[in-house]
Amino acid sequence: MVQVVFDKVRKAFGDTVTIPGLDLVIESGEFVSLLGPSGCGKSTTLRMLAGLEQPSGGRISIGGRDVANLPPAERDIAMVFQSYALYPHMTVAENIRYPLRKRGVPKPEQATRLAEVAALLQLEPLLDRKPRQLSGGQQQRVALGRALVRDPSVFLLDEPLSNLDAALRAHMRAELIELHRRLGKTMVYVTHDQLEAMTMSTRIAVMKDGVLQQFAPPAEIYDRPANRFVAGFIGTPSMALAEATLLRDGGGARLQIGAMMIDLPGRHAAAAPCAVTVGIRPEDIVVGQGPWQALVRLVEPTGHETIVALEAGDLALTARIPGGPRLHAGETVAFDVNRARLHLFAADDGHRLALDITDTTPPRSA
Amino acid sequence: MAEAALPGARLERRDALLGLALIAPTVLVLGAVIVYPLLSAIYLSLFSLYTPTLEGHWVGLANYRAVFGSGGFWSALATTAVWTVGTLTLQVLFGLAMALLLHQNILFRSLARSLVLFPYFLSTVVAVLVWRWLFNDLYGVVNHALMAAGIIDAPVSWLGTMPNAMLSIIVVGAWKFFPFVVIAILARLQTIPEALYEAARIDGAGPVSRFFDITLPQLRDVLTIVILLRTVWDFKEFDLIYLMTGGGPVNGTRTLPLIVYQQAFGLNQMGLAAAHAVAMMLVMLVFMLAYLRRAGGRVA
Repeated sequence: MVQVVFDKVRKAFGDTVTIPGLDLVIESGEFVSLLGPSGCGKSTTLRMLAGLEQPSGGRISIGGRDVANLPPAERDIAMVFQSYALYPHMTVAENIRYPLRKRGVPKPEQATRLAEVAALLQLEPLLDRKPRQLSGGQQQRVALGRALVRDPSVFLLDEPLSNLDAALRAHMRAELIELHRRLGKTMVYVTHDQLEAMTMSTRIAVMKDGVLQQFAPPAEIYDRPANRFVAGFIGTPSMALAEATLLRDGGGARLQIGAMMIDLPGRHAAAAPCAVTVGIRPEDIVVGQGPWQALVRLVEPTGHETIVALEAGDLALTARIPGGPRLHAGETVAFDVNRARLHLFAADDGHRLALDITDTTPPRSA
Repeated sequence: MAEAALPGARLERRDALLGLALIAPTVLVLGAVIVYPLLSAIYLSLFSLYTPTLEGHWVGLANYRAVFGSGGFWSALATTAVWTVGTLTLQVLFGLAMALLLHQNILFRSLARSLVLFPYFLSTVVAVLVWRWLFNDLYGVVNHALMAAGIIDAPVSWLGTMPNAMLSIIVVGAWKFFPFVVIAILARLQTIPEALYEAARIDGAGPVSRFFDITLPQLRDVLTIVILLRTVWDFKEFDLIYLMTGGGPVNGTRTLPLIVYQQAFGLNQMGLAAAHAVAMMLVMLVFMLAYLRRAGGRVA
């Protein structure tokens, strides 16, 4: 079993602390995405795991082995780089065989394993080509092949799909999911693309400014974001976040968002009154009926659904409605919100409030 | 249809004229400074000429018979080859080592990078004066240092005996021209993606492996160009050798350019000098063709 453990790992470049202290346990066979905006420390985290950067403090272990003093080659990891980092003067076959050659694997075994990997990734017709004669997707597969051929316990992937066009990216995403399923190996995947993280991962580690925000399966990240940052970062279009006040109303509670008043189950009254941030996902807004009125600012048809930007007083909302556009910019529509799926965050530090509305409903199936 | 095509055709003709006008200055300048001197050298080589007056008579290929028939040309060619191979090898090895060093994160890196260019920018006359003083057998620093270190017992004549004179000019040539190699290689080193080295580290390559598996193959193109260019330049190097040894002792360091100079201005045989120069050019043509193929191949 190959568990990857970050124990209070700290990284500073000079006086700049990029990762103040990271605790993360990745279980054997998991596909974990490190997700966050640029500069959140996700790549640094991966590079420390690879041994390309030294942590300034804390402990990293792979399969129970402290890797602090192990060079990258001895960590039993393989890495796929964003730029693929294929050796330009070597053929595809030489590229894939290189890690075996450097480890002194006997020639016949090199050939066998090359053949296996080439078959798995459909690289057979390309083996004699140089990297520059390959398309982006083919180079990507060669880079994967070079990682696979050594049969490492942990795969590290640093934004491997970001240089591909949209169609190819979707295709490679599917291939990676399939690959992970077949190999059952631990994979750590760095990305800033939430779609990649959501579709491929068993768990996502959302990071911001070097701090882990939430580490959970994709569905839970989406349905119960741990704080305001995760709520706003995950989901396209993003969740509308608005300042609101939780009020007591007799035995029940009410949420006041600008001029809107929303009745909530009575158990919320315990915390009231207090200031909160309320989060509403685009798909939780019902357009065309409801107690409130909003002005349609913008209509963006995408084909199978339409994204509508709404303005209700000071409150800016984004709604996602199925089908083609039935609305026009400038008209006024009635709308409602799905009360059971509102998200409440503390107004001060943004953490998810335990007396959350969605806590009573099970997360949607993963 | 024909009428409709007319304005387009006129536009094309104007473009063609503009093209000619733009390329004309280059063609004229190249013609004046390269083609004309080349043709006139070939023309002169067919005459027996007295240099100060350039008067003489047609001798046809007699000059070439003299050039290829004399031992002087062939021994000078051999001397030129020794000088070129020797100094070029040192330049490339030292230049490569220095470029690798300056590519590291060393203290005072930018200062060192500027200082390394110093020999290349220093006037050859000044450099040679200093080196002759260093190599002087009576009061030179080199002898003094070697004797102080106990490596030699008596002063060595660095420029007056063979093979010392050849070794000396080879070393000075390497010192003078290695910065060119450093600049070219350093520029290339900086464009090698760091990810290649990281991938190699993960793949299990040590420092030596990384040099031979990544750095050297990545430098192959620039090394080829540098070696070809420096071969041509070292082959026709004149001032450094002339000022250091004047071709001596006897004819020990007399390379082909020195023969050309000697024939033209020492013996006042301009026709014979031109024949030597043309013969030398034929040898260099081999390297130039190799360079052109290399450069042309890169464009394609």
